[in-house]
Amino acid sequence: MKRRVNIWAWIIFLIGIIYFFLPLFSTFEFSMRMIKGRYTFEAYREAFTDPEFFVNFGYSLMWSILTIIISLLLVVPTAYWVHWRMRRARALVEFITLMPFVVPAVVLVFGMSRLFGGGLKLFGHSILVLTPTPIPLIAGYVVLSFPYMYRAVDTGLRAIDVRTLTEAALSLGAGWRTIITQVIFPNLRVAILSGVFLTFAIVMGEFTFASLLSWPAFGPYMEEIGSMRAYTPQALAVVSFLLTWGSIGLINWVGRGAPGQQQVAGAH
Amino acid sequence: MAHKPYISRRQFLKMSAMAGGAAFLAACAPKAAAPGGAALPDLASGNNIPMDQLIAAAKTEGTLTTIALPHDWANYGEIISTYKTKYGLAINELNPDAGSADELQAIEANKDSKGPQAPDVVDVGISYPAQAMQKGLLAKYKLSTFDTIPLKDPDGYWYAEYYGVLSFEVAKPAIANTPQDWEDLLKPEYKGKVAMAGDVLKSNEAVQTVLAAGLSRSGGDLAKAPEMGLQFWKEMNDAGNFIPVIADQGRIAQGETPLTMEWDYLSLANRDKLAGNPEIEIVIPKTGVLAGPYAGAISAYAPHPYAARLWWEFVFSDEGQNLYLKGYAHPIRFNDMVKRGVVPQAMLDKLPPAEAYAKALFPSVDELNTAKTYITENWRKVVFGE
Amino acid sequence: MSLIKSPPTVSSKTSEKPVAVPSTRESPWDWLGLLPFLLFAFLFLFAPSASIFVNSFQDLSGHFTLSNLAAILTERDFLNAYKASLSISFITAAGGAIFGFLLAYAVVMGGLPNSLRTFLLTFSGVASNFAGVPLAFAFIATMGNAGLVTGWIETILGVDIHAQGFTIYNIWGLSIVYMYFQFPLMVLIMAPALDGLRREWKEACENLGGTSMQYWRYVAFPILMPSLLGTTILLFGNAFGAYATAYAFSGSFINLVTIVIGAQLQGDVLFNPGLGNALALGMIVIMTLCMLGYLYMQRISARWVR
Repeated sequence: MKRRVNIWAWIIFLIGIIYFFLPLFSTFEFSMRMIKGRYTFEAYREAFTDPEFFVNFGYSLMWSILTIIISLLLVVPTAYWVHWRMRRARALVEFITLMPFVVPAVVLVFGMSRLFGGGLKLFGHSILVLTPTPIPLIAGYVVLSFPYMYRAVDTGLRAIDVRTLTEAALSLGAGWRTIITQVIFPNLRVAILSGVFLTFAIVMGEFTFASLLSWPAFGPYMEEIGSMRAYTPQALAVVSFLLTWGSIGLINWVGRGAPGQQQVAGAH
Repeated sequence: MAHKPYISRRQFLKMSAMAGGAAFLAACAPKAAAPGGAALPDLASGNNIPMDQLIAAAKTEGTLTTIALPHDWANYGEIISTYKTKYGLAINELNPDAGSADELQAIEANKDSKGPQAPDVVDVGISYPAQAMQKGLLAKYKLSTFDTIPLKDPDGYWYAEYYGVLSFEVAKPAIANTPQDWEDLLKPEYKGKVAMAGDVLKSNEAVQTVLAAGLSRSGGDLAKAPEMGLQFWKEMNDAGNFIPVIADQGRIAQGETPLTMEWDYLSLANRDKLAGNPEIEIVIPKTGVLAGPYAGAISAYAPHPYAARLWWEFVFSDEGQNLYLKGYAHPIRFNDMVKRGVVPQAMLDKLPPAEAYAKALFPSVDELNTAKTYITENWRKVVFGE
Repeated sequence: MSLIKSPPTVSSKTSEKPVAVPSTRESPWDWLGLLPFLLFAFLFLFAPSASIFVNSFQDLSGHFTLSNLAAILTERDFLNAYKASLSISFITAAGGAIFGFLLAYAVVMGGLPNSLRTFLLTFSGVASNFAGVPLAFAFIATMGNAGLVTGWIETILGVDIHAQGFTIYNIWGLSIVYMYFQFPLMVLIMAPALDGLRREWKEACENLGGTSMQYWRYVAFPILMPSLLGTTILLFGNAFGAYATAYAFSGSFINLVTIVIGAQLQGDVLFNPGLGNALALGMIVIMTLCMLGYLYMQRISARWVR
């Protein structure tokens, strides 16, 4: 059945494109005005020649990788367990993973820095004094990643009917390691990648946690440049938008044709 | 007996145990022992420590942890690097965007941790030390230059480091006629062009903007200034001259906020950074000149207490104070230094004319707090009518 | 009693399990599998959040007080903040839902080339996270007093919209900005849901003589409604909790709950963490209700998808 081309669809799409691209264009146009009287990429050159750019970018990269690893280690087995064994816990786990939307970041950070900065006392001694380490930062990022990671993996698991696959594999005599690596993971590849890239985008741009816990990261760097410079921050904004778009485009390209492609993104 | 070339297993274990035990004991040894075995100078009394002892003690600590010191603010970048090279210490800079509340929060949250996230020294708005002292977050210390500091806590818990006055930051050619005083801002030609550089509920600078306008209107009467300041901004809002957006360099350059009010050291630094794109003109208003000092203090839980004290010795020395001046901020010991002739003329020439500062008013901490409370509580009601 | 062991019958009460498959009987030990996750969530999500709950009942010197809660329920400033936050959330949820749905429909079922669908979906992935200072600047640079589009309108149409009283620095202007991440969120969630509308249903409807209008009214919308409502609720919560964008846009000049919380917890001027946390508590309550609503709607719509 041939699809009728709907003129309204085109109109709506066009309106959408105009709405989304005008602000981006304004930012780009302004970022090109660094030198008086003509358009130039000077702001971009200045952005990329600042050594702090690479230092902070590197730190954020490190935070994202750590976050992704820990999040995967926590979320994938849990999601799998819920699907296979603990259907009845599904509502609870889903609720927990949506809680990061509910609690404002600044409040969570303050809570963590009080609790883990010597606030917890056992027999008069402070325990779990974690604030000198990046543990609260990474933990905070992992918590932030829960909604996306869990939702992505959950959707992926739903699309592949875990129980049947597991039981089939078991009845054919497969051990647990084989089941996880050769049956589940390959089918979840796209879902996991989707969660990974979204987490990556979020951690790279995150500001509140890094700033209040005083760790170097790209978000606070962008904020600092924003308060110190006029044109360079906009160049940075354009660059980070394009980079993120590129990564998400990449995951879509990698995952074309595979089951379970639902994505969720989010809150600010 | 055959010579055994290798250490027997038992001997090896014994040696490791001894080495380990020694290392363990060394680690457990109280850190207060300085090289050479002399005890480190006393901290609790708050008395001044002679510079050579202080430098030696600081060197054993090796690092200083600072917070909320953007490099472009009052030339902190150069102050930090000079301290590092002069004394051979490292500086661990935390969160340059922190506000005064965040700084105190950082001290409190890291009370028991002594890790790299615990700040040694803070630079906060002048009304903050009182709260911090109440919570026991600050340590006292009498600097060598203590007597020449006009604004400080008598016991040495905090000292005002520098001040600026509120200035008009005017972008040309967007603004054809530069306003000279607060009342000029109400002129119709400035419709949709005036913005504050901070948020009234969050930024000390913005609150002072309201207060300064009020000071201008009330002819210097600080008691009436908060109320009249709010009235002024209400008129600005009604006329449409005031746009409720926070000005920053990007928005000034883009043209959205061509007229804003900032501390002079920030305006002058912005002018330099924008380098003519656009042209910035700085004007100190004729009336309503308000001085905004910032206070420095030492954390009571500082992991590096000697480095902290050394920092302030440096900042309040002639050299340190001149570095503030280089960043266009008036060091607190300005008058004393000018009298003694230790301020380079070239630096003085780069500042706005001294007469503009002659009328600068320094509210007391109590007056500031009263004004702050009044303004923040009534801001929305008066200006926006909510 | 027969000495011959009879094979187990279908009706036998004790079910014999096949040897290779482990027991699927529920056991309390199953909860152990969730332990790492639950422990992590407790340590780094619930415990810090609970400390907020506790702190809402403390005054500046740490003593127990109900004054913070009383303040947020009675002081005009805070009530106005909640009102403003609720209205902007409502506006952007409704607007985001409607146009977002139309966009999703356009790319999924509107006959547009597949490449445009991929384009919109990947773009939405980025745009839904594009917020805070860059987004605020982008709109100021577009529609502000010195904005690009403002300039174009003035040059082309000769009209100074700002002189006519137009301004983006109010709830409506901020709503337009919020749409930048609301539309994409709607698109990302509804596109797969629209995909789930099986072609067979449309064909069956047509075979029975139904018009397109009837298809939508009696088949498609009822099926989509839980997803639509659920996502709208999600958009509502999303807007309510937005802070970075609102603050970057106009600081506290627009009175929103998140802004007031920020002012109480940080900054150089106000400082009453107990009050800030009480406000946050109120916000958490509202957001939790949103989340529960969303989850409930998802449960209902799951009936049709799969």
